[in-house]
Amino acid sequence: MEELKSLTRRNFIKKTAAFSALAAFSGSPLTALAARESIKLTILHTNDVHSRIEPFPMDGGRYQGLAGVARRSTLINQIRAQEEHVLLVDAGDMFQGTPYFNLFEGKLELDLMSKLGYEAGTFGNHEFDNGLTGLAKHLSHANFPFLTSNYDFTGTLLAGKTKEYTIIRKGGLKIGLFGLGIDINGLVDPNSFKGMKYLDPLPIANRLAKELKEKHRCDLVICLSHLGYSYKDDKISDLVLAAKSAHIDFIIGGHTHTFLPEPTKVVNLQGKDTYVNQVGFGGINLGRIDITFDPKSGKKQIMASTHEINNSIEATKLA
Amino acid sequence: MKYVRWNGATLALLVSSIIFSTSCSKQLSPSQPIYKRYELNATVAEDSTVLAIYTPYKKKLESSMNEVIGYSPVYLTKGSTAETLMGNFFCDALLAMGKKIDPEVQLSFGTKGGIRTEIKKGDVTVGHVFEVMPFENSLTILTLSGEQILNLANFIAKTGGQPIAGMRMEIKADKAQRIELAGQPLDLSKSYKLVTYDYLANGGDNLNALNNPLKRADFPEKVRESLMTYIKELTKNKQPINTQLDGRVKIID
Repeated sequence: MEELKSLTRRNFIKKTAAFSALAAFSGSPLTALAARESIKLTILHTNDVHSRIEPFPMDGGRYQGLAGVARRSTLINQIRAQEEHVLLVDAGDMFQGTPYFNLFEGKLELDLMSKLGYEAGTFGNHEFDNGLTGLAKHLSHANFPFLTSNYDFTGTLLAGKTKEYTIIRKGGLKIGLFGLGIDINGLVDPNSFKGMKYLDPLPIANRLAKELKEKHRCDLVICLSHLGYSYKDDKISDLVLAAKSAHIDFIIGGHTHTFLPEPTKVVNLQGKDTYVNQVGFGGINLGRIDITFDPKSGKKQIMASTHEINNSIEATKLA
Repeated sequence: MKYVRWNGATLALLVSSIIFSTSCSKQLSPSQPIYKRYELNATVAEDSTVLAIYTPYKKKLESSMNEVIGYSPVYLTKGSTAETLMGNFFCDALLAMGKKIDPEVQLSFGTKGGIRTEIKKGDVTVGHVFEVMPFENSLTILTLSGEQILNLANFIAKTGGQPIAGMRMEIKADKAQRIELAGQPLDLSKSYKLVTYDYLANGGDNLNALNNPLKRADFPEKVRESLMTYIKELTKNKQPINTQLDGRVKIID
């Protein structure tokens, strides 16, 4: 009984909270109404930031005065204030490139990404520069998951510390994410990833994307990729992956430091569009993709997509 | 009590309705995406709460990185040409430091990909050298057969030129020709000592030419430290970084 009491008490608190949340939103019933018609998702993304904490120095270099994590934070916060559903992700090579990494071994990069509210990332080849030991050392400073679907860390220090995929919910939308890393044989000193297995990304991508779309019924599937945009030969790249896969909506890429003026549209195996994007390196740019989801029919669907708000409304009414 | 039970039941009903609505919901289809790319330049204000996180780190870093150790009268550039100023500087320094360890060292080799940034005209600081060579790689001296040097030269040719010192060569139709060491044509029957770093000797950058050397000796001195020592010694002798393009790797049409 005591247990029940505390349980109901918790429910009561929950409802009070829901009520105050409703009160806070009461000035904007239109927001809720608009959400019934369509949901807008804003994806923000970076890649290959390479420990560029401060802006590039004013030394006559090509990118002098650009980038900087404190500016990125301002911009992200501005967008978050304007948009209801924002997803912030990174496509790897967070580390290496400025002495911040040499001196502090990645701890600061992860602290700052957590502060900025990154929701998922993947490993680039430079994440391994201080070996698996170096990578594992400060990984707990990230309060978001790393998706490493084609790296098998079984039996290494990193076993269980990364995820194969994740599902993030935004305003009723289900967003499935997974991550692909490049074949680091030849890119990284073999001693730096001893015990880790690189797995062929293509079959893994196809299996996970299908699972996320069909089994988990995700509205959107995003692949965070550090495979690289494209190569002269037929080596696996984002463009190859897009063409040879199904069910992936977006490939947020990295590694080749490619500055794309806009996402590249690729027709995938299903004949549908897969978009590939990449925003250079160093945090010079922040990529933004806005997608509007239009429910095709039926109130149920709208209910589901806005169930948080509906839930609060119903709960307060009945209470 | 009645109130409580009613509440619980309502909640259960709500939960089930949410589950119901979720499971019955159709997946949504995305519209054409709208794309925007923001450049992070000086018009974007810095978030003071982020500055507060990294300022203590910045102070610590600056005290060690801002030390000026030399001067470059030219902008040492990288690029896709067969020979680059940055590549020459890097390998000249590597060769000079390699010779200190073993005077028999004749040539040095690096890769364009391993040299991470350029050195601008002006003062050169410890921080600059860190950015050029951020990796914790250390010096390795390999004894290679003439045949293996030829393989290396062909790798250099095939990849459009790579940083070297102590050797001159031409590239014609992706093949190496007129390979010279210390003014003498490459002798396939002789052996040569090459200084590079552990990462490349371990097969990094998909380099196979350095596999199976006649002899390998690894040294604890980091490449970054070698570059710094080289610059500091120039400064001590009142010399700037005097790197030139000298036609050591030439593409012949």
